[in-house]
Amino acid sequence: MDSGSTKTEDPRREPTTFREFLASLGRPFVEIGDTVRGIFAVFGLTLYYMVRGRTRWKAIFEQLHEVGNRSVIFIAVTLGFLGMILIYQSGYQAQQITGDLQMLGGLFLQLLLREFAPTITAMMLATRVATGMAAQIGSMVVTEQVDALEMSAAQPIDYLVVPRFIATTIMTVVLSIFAVLVAYTAGAITAQLSFGLNVRTFVDMSFIGWFDVWMGLTKAVAYGMAIPIIACHAGLNVFGGSAGVGRATTAAVVNASLAVVILDFIISGAGYVILHLVS
Amino acid sequence: MHRLVSRLQLPFSILGEKALKWANITGGLILLTWQIMLNLLPWNWNFDGPEIWRSMYRVGVQSFPIVVVTAVLVGAIMVIQSGLYIEQYQAHGLLGWGAGYAILREVGPILIGLMFSGRVGANNTAELGTMKVTDQIDALRALAIDPVAYLVMPRFLAMIVMMFLLVVVGNFTALIGGAVTSQVLLGVDMMLFYQSVVTYVLLDDLWHGLIKSVMFGFAIAVISCYFGLATRGGAVGVGRAVNASVVGSAIAIFAIDYFVAFGTL
Repeated sequence: MDSGSTKTEDPRREPTTFREFLASLGRPFVEIGDTVRGIFAVFGLTLYYMVRGRTRWKAIFEQLHEVGNRSVIFIAVTLGFLGMILIYQSGYQAQQITGDLQMLGGLFLQLLLREFAPTITAMMLATRVATGMAAQIGSMVVTEQVDALEMSAAQPIDYLVVPRFIATTIMTVVLSIFAVLVAYTAGAITAQLSFGLNVRTFVDMSFIGWFDVWMGLTKAVAYGMAIPIIACHAGLNVFGGSAGVGRATTAAVVNASLAVVILDFIISGAGYVILHLVS
Repeated sequence: MHRLVSRLQLPFSILGEKALKWANITGGLILLTWQIMLNLLPWNWNFDGPEIWRSMYRVGVQSFPIVVVTAVLVGAIMVIQSGLYIEQYQAHGLLGWGAGYAILREVGPILIGLMFSGRVGANNTAELGTMKVTDQIDALRALAIDPVAYLVMPRFLAMIVMMFLLVVVGNFTALIGGAVTSQVLLGVDMMLFYQSVVTYVLLDDLWHGLIKSVMFGFAIAVISCYFGLATRGGAVGVGRAVNASVVGSAIAIFAIDYFVAFGTL
């Protein structure tokens, strides 16, 4: 077992069908473990450089513009459609079952705050922002600009990831609030036009409490922290030219969307348990 | 003077550029759809059987785990969210209806569609984009092979079929995830959940979701293939194309969802 040739001749290492089966069983777990470890490493380094590093206001404002302003139309279109769809479907059901649409607006606002506005906004940001970041950083890696950064003693994580992390965290919260407004307005218009429900009846704040607001904000912050870290991790791990950049953007959007769904599950479950412990 | 004039022209030139870009994209999408439709005509059938199977494997089987994970979590989230209302009104028998209706009709197809566009659509755009920037598409044209028939058709068919099948599987796993969550977290018996789903959820709700899933598959296939084939400018261009593809797919998913809801009710 001291040279390469003995390794290949060793009968115990021959790739049998059974060995390949075991390898194919284990490979996904190893890959998932590597990815998760890499993501947490980037996260830890980001937090470290956020505290220790210099604050680059210019880069942060650039990223705020890139993440926030340039997503506004996209978020407005998708969340506007979402508001119309949800009101359409639930209003139809309410009309069929109870014929009473009084509570539609209030419950819609509550559900929007708790669940749909932050989660769907984050899914949209995971597609738009995460692919953008992974593609940008990935092409920097492919064209060896990141190596050049390291050569000039600028840590890529400090220089590239920290501004994106700060900007996306802020902008996810802002865009979630914007999403609530857009979806609620679209819902109000749909309720007025399709069911003849007065806007005054529709705008009903009596259902929402601090719990709903905190739930929505917690989700938005958690998603806003997860998306840039995952996207930058995918971007920094690019290898192999334009095919590699394509692979990285795919990985970024898939991992970011999965992270959003997983965080949603964890935070919703925790919120449910907390609500039970309190009451 | 010249600087002032060019400054005044700036908004108009930006507006014009945007309009041209959108016209370009819309026209390209319509043309690609038209070419796909021509290839679908029975007398033009020229399908590469093994390639379709390979595409189906790559599109369907490889995104199976991610769809299952998403669906289980979505089912759980829907049960948690409706659980809060169910407990408020003490209507445990309606839990399965609330969660099942939301999952089958809206949330299941939308979220699986978004994951599908991220996993498959982005992958597809990246693949076609890499082929484009390395001149492989032009090489196909030089060999008198139509890129639409050879590259787009297998992916198109595979995506539509697999999106449908994945939503079927996803709906099922989401309901299982919801049932387990209702048992573990809410303490509502699984059988009660099952009874509630079977009693109150209509076959129409399932069909509504499945019809939408086919349309989502169509939209994702056309959009991802178009942006892949329109890629320009090396590795940076591939990244931009993937970004445009997933953004376009997301908008298409919500728009289609709205018009289907509007058209069927």
